[in-house]
Amino acid sequence: MSAETEPEPGAGTGTGTAGGRKTSGNGFARDTWIVLKRWLIKTVRNPFVMTSSLLNPIVFLVLFTEVFGGITEGTVSQSLGTEASYVTYLVPAIAIQTALIAATTSGIGQVDDIENGMFEKMLVSPMHRGAVFLGKSLSEIIRIVAQVSIILALGYVLLYLDTGTSPGEYVQTGFLGAVGIVLVAILFSIWFTAISNVVALITRDQESTIIAVNVLQFPLLFLSSAFVPIEALPEWVQTIAALNPITYGVDAARALMFGQDVMTVLDVSAFGGMWNTLVPALAVLGALDLVLGAVAVHFLNSASSSDVQ
Amino acid sequence: MTETNAIDAQHVELTYADGTEAVTDLVLEIPEGEFFGFLGANGAGKTTTIKVLTTLLVPTGGTVTVNGYDVETESRSVRESIGYMAQETSIDPELTARENIRFACEAYGVSGADRDERIDDLLDLVDLADVADKQAKGFSGGMKKRLDAATALVHEPPIVFLDEPTTGLDPKARNRLWDYFERINDRGTTIFLTTQYLEEADQLCDRIGVIRDGEIVASGSPAELKDRVGGAVLEVELGDSDDETRERAREVALEADVFDGTAIEVTGEGLSVRSTAARQRGPELLVALKEADVPVTGFNVRDPTLDDVFLAITGEGLDDEVAASEPTGEGETDDASTTAEVGR
Repeated sequence: MSAETEPEPGAGTGTGTAGGRKTSGNGFARDTWIVLKRWLIKTVRNPFVMTSSLLNPIVFLVLFTEVFGGITEGTVSQSLGTEASYVTYLVPAIAIQTALIAATTSGIGQVDDIENGMFEKMLVSPMHRGAVFLGKSLSEIIRIVAQVSIILALGYVLLYLDTGTSPGEYVQTGFLGAVGIVLVAILFSIWFTAISNVVALITRDQESTIIAVNVLQFPLLFLSSAFVPIEALPEWVQTIAALNPITYGVDAARALMFGQDVMTVLDVSAFGGMWNTLVPALAVLGALDLVLGAVAVHFLNSASSSDVQ
Repeated sequence: MTETNAIDAQHVELTYADGTEAVTDLVLEIPEGEFFGFLGANGAGKTTTIKVLTTLLVPTGGTVTVNGYDVETESRSVRESIGYMAQETSIDPELTARENIRFACEAYGVSGADRDERIDDLLDLVDLADVADKQAKGFSGGMKKRLDAATALVHEPPIVFLDEPTTGLDPKARNRLWDYFERINDRGTTIFLTTQYLEEADQLCDRIGVIRDGEIVASGSPAELKDRVGGAVLEVELGDSDDETRERAREVALEADVFDGTAIEVTGEGLSVRSTAARQRGPELLVALKEADVPVTGFNVRDPTLDDVFLAITGEGLDDEVAASEPTGEGETDDASTTAEVGR
C-alpha cells in the first residue's frame, strides 16, 4: 500500500474524455474472445461438470446397447432396410442427447452469472452486448464438439468390442460424416440453449432452471425417433415425434451415420439419398433456432436494459 | 445543464413496468472531483438512481449526462467513463483474484505492456497479493469486496459509482476501503456513493443528497446539514426512571426556563435538548434538575449526527433493521461528544 506502487486512479478528469488514459474500446471479436476465454477457464476448472454431464449419455449408450440391443436389432435393420447394429443406430441419438444436456447447462451458467453479479458487471462495461452472449455460446459449442466426439469414439469402441468391425463400417460417410454429426449436434443445440436461457432469465434461479429443463428433456427424448424406429411406436407417439425437434436432430445425425435417407416423419425425395433427410431436418432445425434464438435475444435484451435487479 | 458537472441529472423519472414510481423529478448536479453521498432509506430510490446513472436502466423521463455523455444515446461512452461497484459483490468465484482483475482489464480495454504490473499493483492496493492466484470462492466477504473494488477501478475511470460498498463488512475492512476511496478521490476522481451508514457519508463525503420517495429532499455538506438541525444535543440520563419521573423532569426543565420548551423532548433514557446553547447552558439545567431531586444518572452533550439530520428531514430513521445490523465499535456518538457520569 505504499505510494510508489499505487496506480494513478482518476486519470481522466476532463469532461468528455472517455474513461481513463489506458482505456480503448475493444472490437466485437476481441470482446467475444475475452468472454469466451472466461467461460473456457471456468469449464477447465470444473472438470467435474464436464464429466458428469457426459455421464448420463454414456450410461444411456452402454445400457441401452446392452439391454435392448438384442431385441431391437431386427426392428432397426428392418427399418433401415440393411443390416445394422443397435450401437450404430443409437450413437446419433446419444450425440443429440449430449447436445441437449450441454444446452441445458447454458441456462444454468446464465443464472450463475446473474447471481454472482458478473452479468451486470459486463453490462455496465463498454463490452459489446452481443459479444457477451456470443462468447458464452462459443464456449458451449466447444464443449459440444468435445463431448460429441467422445460419444462417437465410445460408440466405436462398443461396436468394435462386439463385432471387431472397421471404422469405415461405423460411420458410413467417413470422417467428414463424423464432422457432420458434430455440426448437426451444434445446430440442434441452439434452440434448446435459447429455451434454457429464457427459463433462466425468467426464474433467475438455478434449481428452477435445472428442474424445468430436465422435466422437458426426458419426454422429448423418448417421444422421438431417438431410441427405436418410429414405425415401431404407437400412433400417438408417432404424432408427437413428428413435431418433436429431437426427431429432426437425430434423423439428420443418423442419415450421416448410415449414409442414407432415414427420415420417416417427412416424405421428401427431391434431393436423393441421405440428403432427403438432411435438407428438411436441417431446415426445420435452422428455422427453430432462428425463432427461439430471437425470443432469447429479446429476453436477454430486456434483461440487460430494464429490469436488472 | 453545466458543462463541468461530472454527473448531471435533470428532472429524471423512472417508472417501472408495473407502475412503481421509483424516481420522480430527481435533480443532481455533481461537479468533477466531488465525493458525493447519496442517502436514503431502503426503497427510497437509491439503487434505481444509480442504475439509471450507470446505463443499466433507461430513465422514463428527464435527461442524464455522465462525464458529458447522454446515458441513453451515448451509453457506451458513459460505460467507458465509469467504474461501478454494485451493492452485491460482483466477482466470478471460479476465477482467481488475478484472473478477475485481468478479466476486468480486458473488458475495459486496458492493455499495454504495463498491464500485468498494474494488476499486481491493484492486488497490492487491496491487500490480496498473497492470495492472488487462489480462486475467489474461498475468500471472506471483506476480501471479495476488496477484489470487487479493484475490478471496478482497473480503467482509472473519472467517475466511480459505489452502491453501499461497505455494507456487511467489519469495521477494519470498512476502514481499508474508505482509505482506498479517499485516495482515488484525492486524485480527482468523482465519486458517487450510496450508503446506509450515515457515519460513512459524514467521514467521506464533500456533499450529501438525501433522497426520499424518489426525490432529493435535502442536500449540502455534512456540516451544513447538521447545522440545520440546530446546534448540539444535550442528553440527560435518568437511569431506571419510569414515565412519571421523566415527565416530572420535563416539567422541571420547562420551569427552569433555560431552554426553549420546544427543544425539550422526553426520550427512552430521559430528556434530550437540542439547542445552539446546549453546551454553554446545559449545566444550569442539570443544577435545576438536581435541586428538584430528579435522579440524574448521567449526561452527554454531543454534536448532531447525520442520524439526527435524517430524522429531522424525513421524520424517520434510515432503517431500523439496518441500524440493528450495523457493526459496532464505530463509536459514532462517542467521537463527537463529551460524556460524563454524575452520581451513581
